[in-house]
Amino acid sequence: MSSTAHDTRHSAQPFAPSAHVVQLLSLSREELEGLQLARLKRQLARLRQSSAYYRVRMERARIDPDAIGSLADFFAAFPTSTKVEFLADQNDHPPFGERLSIPREEVALVNMTGGTSGQGQEIYGRSQRDIHTQGYLHALPWFLAGLRPGHIAFNCVPAGGLTTGGWGPGEGLRIAGATAFHVGGTLSTDAKIDLMLRVGDVNFIYASTNYLHRLTDALLRRGLEPKRAFPGMRTLFIAAEGYPIEWAGRIAELWGCTLQEGYGSTQCAGFGASTFDDGVVDRNGARALMHLFEWETLFEVLDPVTMRPVKSGETGELVVTNLAIEGSPVVRFRTGDCVRFISSRDTRSGRSVHAIECGTVGRFDDMMKIRGNNVWPSAVDAAVFAHGEIAEYIGKVFTDAEGKTECEVCIALTEQAASKLPPDCAHLLGSVQNAIKERTNVLMKVSVVPRNELPEFTYKARRWKDLRQQGYRL
Amino acid sequence: MRTSENSIDPMERDHIVLTRMMSDAERLCRSDDPFMLGQYRHLRGRVAALIEMTRPPKTSRNAP
Repeated sequence: MSSTAHDTRHSAQPFAPSAHVVQLLSLSREELEGLQLARLKRQLARLRQSSAYYRVRMERARIDPDAIGSLADFFAAFPTSTKVEFLADQNDHPPFGERLSIPREEVALVNMTGGTSGQGQEIYGRSQRDIHTQGYLHALPWFLAGLRPGHIAFNCVPAGGLTTGGWGPGEGLRIAGATAFHVGGTLSTDAKIDLMLRVGDVNFIYASTNYLHRLTDALLRRGLEPKRAFPGMRTLFIAAEGYPIEWAGRIAELWGCTLQEGYGSTQCAGFGASTFDDGVVDRNGARALMHLFEWETLFEVLDPVTMRPVKSGETGELVVTNLAIEGSPVVRFRTGDCVRFISSRDTRSGRSVHAIECGTVGRFDDMMKIRGNNVWPSAVDAAVFAHGEIAEYIGKVFTDAEGKTECEVCIALTEQAASKLPPDCAHLLGSVQNAIKERTNVLMKVSVVPRNELPEFTYKARRWKDLRQQGYRL
Repeated sequence: MRTSENSIDPMERDHIVLTRMMSDAERLCRSDDPFMLGQYRHLRGRVAALIEMTRPPKTSRNAP
């Protein structure tokens, strides 16, 4: 089983460059922006013909794609879009909305966002061409991180379903030419480890930050040192969750290889940035950078109040425009993601693309990423307070002793309910748990506590605590 | 034999090959076999994506 991969790994140059990638990365900033402008104008000209949603926006803003002379012209004139506007469009023109810019019968893949905001799910129709592009936007950061044809890869992210994150990795690993084991969501952690040990020469792991932690912890509990169990491991690639920098260093040490990170989203149709082969920790032990794939996606980092670009080193909201996606592309979409922007002048990488900081991507709203689900406290509020017996609650998300992400909700009853319900409140607790699961897709532990153990919120309720990073100890 | 195709850079050469493949893929997509049609569209989509990716970045600035 491992011989082919082993031969491939050792016969090929381990980090042989791609002429394609070299050519893109050798563009000067001016050339890159020229390429972006050309692709943008093509995209807008196509959308004017094919998408009523964007045609109306262009007409209202009096934008003629042919007359756009610079990216600055575009940024100044083209209106941004939000999730709320996309949902309204879908509601008026179900199921895809007038954003869809290919004939419905050419939609070959449907991707939806998680739907746990309580607001609704954005829906994206992807063409056959887009499916390949989504694969490219996964394969690209992995290639840059050292994945090569013939490598053995373990994809620990659940595959399939309706999300981009469910389909993109499979396509990306096929495009990369890797031998992929899609173990996410189908095998227990111990079963994954058993399979990895049987395969032996595993070269690449893709996982959420939390799952890589859990996998590492499970290996150590079994007395296995990752770097000895898997000496052929070249790349660990994480996404989706922040982490303490000390943890990143410890993971790299335990596995004997570099930890890499990517930033991606459904709106980016895959990854929009990655650490390339730099690792998540720089030479000085500080957080490294994820460089943006700006030839595929146009990025802006804006102050969410003034909507002006932030300066290098400042944080702002990431706004994205697809340059190559043809079905349901986004144009100046406000992601709500909070990133620290680093200009290409300040990255010290010599690359002409801009960057964002590793390990610190957050949200401007209070969304929490829990086991791959986007969970808004408002969604839990709605589930909990649908039960009239409940006066207040608090919740916490944390990393348990086995390295698993867990969520705990403590409810307090109204005086009236406390006097009537049995002490264990079993029926109520089960109902609350089911309601939360239905709205967030996350199973949370629910318990009842006396009312005086919970705080009184006098202004904005701060019911949730995210304690996960405290649990990242190896 | 030296041709215009082998005198250019690899990405541009691949782009030319893929563009040729596209016209064949388009021809296949005119098939009236409904079972094969979906597969031919799948093929055309792959070629179309690769054409976009291999478009030489410096010349595509002026492409329509």
